[in-house]
Amino acid sequence: MTAGVAAWPTRVSRAGRRGWRRVSGAVQRVVDRWRGSLQIRVVTSALLFGVVALGALGWFLSDRIAGGLYEDRRDQLLADSASSTQQAQQRFNRSASERATGQDVEALFLEVIGQLQVGGTGDRRDVFLLRVPGGSARVFANGQTTAPHLVDLIDPQLRRAVREADVQMWMPVGIPTEGEPAPGILVGSTVTVPTAGTYELYYLYDLSAEQQTLAFLQRVLVSGAAVLVLLLGVLTWMVTRTAVQPVRAAARVAERLADGLLSERMTVRGKDEMATLARSFNEMAESLQLQIHRMEELSRLQRRFVSDVSHELKTPLTTIRMAAEILHGSRESLDPAAARSAELLTAQLDRFEALLADLLEMSRFDAGAAMLDAERRDVREIVVQAVDQATSLAAKKGVWLGVELPDEPVIADVDGRRVERILRNLLVNALEHAEGNPVEVRLGADAEAVAIRVRDHGVGMTPEESEHVFDRFWRADPARARTTGGTGLGLAISQEDAHLHGGRLEVWARPGLGASFLLTLPRHAGITLGESPVPLVPEDTPSPEATVDVGAHVVVDPAAVPDLDRLEA
Amino acid sequence: MGGMKGRILVVDDDVALAEMIGIVLKSEGFEPLFCAHGDEALEAFRQGQPDLVLLDLMLPGKDGNEICRLIRAESGVPIVMLTAKSDTVDVVLGLESGADDYISKPFKPKELIARVRARLRRTDEPSPEHLTIGDLEIDVTGHRVSRDGKTIPLTPLEFDLLVALARKPWQVFTREVLLERVWGYRHAADTRLVNVHVQRLRSKIEHDPEDPKIVVTVRGVGYKAGTEAS
Repeated sequence: MTAGVAAWPTRVSRAGRRGWRRVSGAVQRVVDRWRGSLQIRVVTSALLFGVVALGALGWFLSDRIAGGLYEDRRDQLLADSASSTQQAQQRFNRSASERATGQDVEALFLEVIGQLQVGGTGDRRDVFLLRVPGGSARVFANGQTTAPHLVDLIDPQLRRAVREADVQMWMPVGIPTEGEPAPGILVGSTVTVPTAGTYELYYLYDLSAEQQTLAFLQRVLVSGAAVLVLLLGVLTWMVTRTAVQPVRAAARVAERLADGLLSERMTVRGKDEMATLARSFNEMAESLQLQIHRMEELSRLQRRFVSDVSHELKTPLTTIRMAAEILHGSRESLDPAAARSAELLTAQLDRFEALLADLLEMSRFDAGAAMLDAERRDVREIVVQAVDQATSLAAKKGVWLGVELPDEPVIADVDGRRVERILRNLLVNALEHAEGNPVEVRLGADAEAVAIRVRDHGVGMTPEESEHVFDRFWRADPARARTTGGTGLGLAISQEDAHLHGGRLEVWARPGLGASFLLTLPRHAGITLGESPVPLVPEDTPSPEATVDVGAHVVVDPAAVPDLDRLEA
Repeated sequence: MGGMKGRILVVDDDVALAEMIGIVLKSEGFEPLFCAHGDEALEAFRQGQPDLVLLDLMLPGKDGNEICRLIRAESGVPIVMLTAKSDTVDVVLGLESGADDYISKPFKPKELIARVRARLRRTDEPSPEHLTIGDLEIDVTGHRVSRDGKTIPLTPLEFDLLVALARKPWQVFTREVLLERVWGYRHAADTRLVNVHVQRLRSKIEHDPEDPKIVVTVRGVGYKAGTEAS
């Protein structure tokens, strides 16, 4: 029993919670809808205001009308009653007779109240003639009434007041009917009947007619108010619609503009404020379109400039190159100074060419002219190719080069030339800084991404330094690195190449622990990269401290990657 | 080897480069001819009857692509473009106007000579060789391709490409292998060369180039000879 009692409130509260959740959900939906639409907000506010204002006005009006109706009628009835009472008094005075018996007086009473039943205004009323209790009249006559069943309506307090005061008294009463009590008014005063003593004379007036008039008026008022509120709602709805419609149209057009449909415009109708809005909006779109076209033109000009400069620079460079090769080829027949000069000339031309090529590549990225020439490739092949090219440098540096590849093919849509260039850059970089320690290359993949990590155990870098490795022409140690060749653009280009794929290039480095570069590429266009299949921080790192994740700042935009499925295999 | 040495027309408006190319060609035993203006190139070609044309893309007067088309209209002589632009659009445009190969500036003398030699190389087979591919007859020694006895004119490069495919009809050739066999590249190079030339070859030999039956694409691998005659 106790258990049952204990369980009961839990059940209730659980049901209550469920109900409350449903209700609060519905409320939330309504609130959201209300917040989301200016029109609904304005209309509901207007309606609310209208209802309150009309309610107050209606209440005031109906109160005044009721008061007016009732007071007028009451004053009229009081005057009527007073004159009737006076008539009755005169009648009693006239018929005063010393011989009258109780029966005579009662007969007189009946006659008088019969006459009094029809008032001066033609209203029917009930009349009560009541004997004042006690008293010591000579003749005893009972009071008479036209409506004996309503005698109870006459309040003892009223009776007392009527007896004590010498004026006409009144009070409102409810006359019992079959349904609701009808409103009535009871007017009382005293009359003196000779020989029989003082009697109280009451008139009961039925005010149903007035009540009906009032009810009718109130009905008219209420329906008028309802029509007004409805009208107000429709009106505000229409007004806000005309105001909100252009705003909605503007929002729609702005959205389309943002989607790149630059020639989208609003329709201008008429000369009002809305037309001004549409016109200014269109002017804004116009200037936006103009600016974008200007930028595009500028970018086109820059690309053109790069292309022209490349042609102009490359032609004389070709001549110099060939001349240098001829000189270099015949250096045995030259004197030692000239022969060495020919060697230096050839070597520096290589550097010059590499620098020019990198500069052009960089400016192609800057101008947005770089294109991804992607095809379905086994990434393992690219890694092997890049590693093969790096073996001679590894041998020269005496560095052991380890490669870890998955057994099954790693298929991805990539631009082989660019990926190989990235790997070449990373490998050369790692070999140059390895200081004789091994360099490890690891290829890993999951369903969405392919990752290649190049890791060296050389001098490494501080986290601050590693933040700059992708900067153009940045060198960790300017004095030392100058001799190791490289253009200073390699890693910057590599990062651009990675971004062009929708991928990323990240670095981790610590002084004395070496550096780790991680290239992560999506397998196909449209994949947004998550975590890389290969960790950036090498597993052999002694302390799991926080890493510098330069590449993570990069926003990868999958839309920048072309749809590879459409390219020919 | 004596037959390999030949006349080479160098069309370039840069006098210094043209002279330098001339020095390099002469040192290898070739006979250079020069032309510095686009409008005179065709005339120089007709008069000189060169064995190969080195053609700069940007020229005063008619540009390289235009000249390429004009020469192609009357001769299948190998044309190698010299270009400072290596963007896909420029390269493909040059190849589509009929060039067999291209060299990006700046190039080394050895590269230039290797390309020139590769284009001039003739596989002089001692025994007559006849091949069929689809409904085409190939007379390898006579450098003739015919369908129903009617000769189809092909440039030497297109001919070599077709022969390479026809000799091993069971084999699928990757673009890299074709570059090595037909163009003579020893290192990985631009596979766009292959795509463009296959398209051009198809336009000449296929009944419907949109639905090729003789040179078939193997998706993701490369090309092979069609097995059935259409």
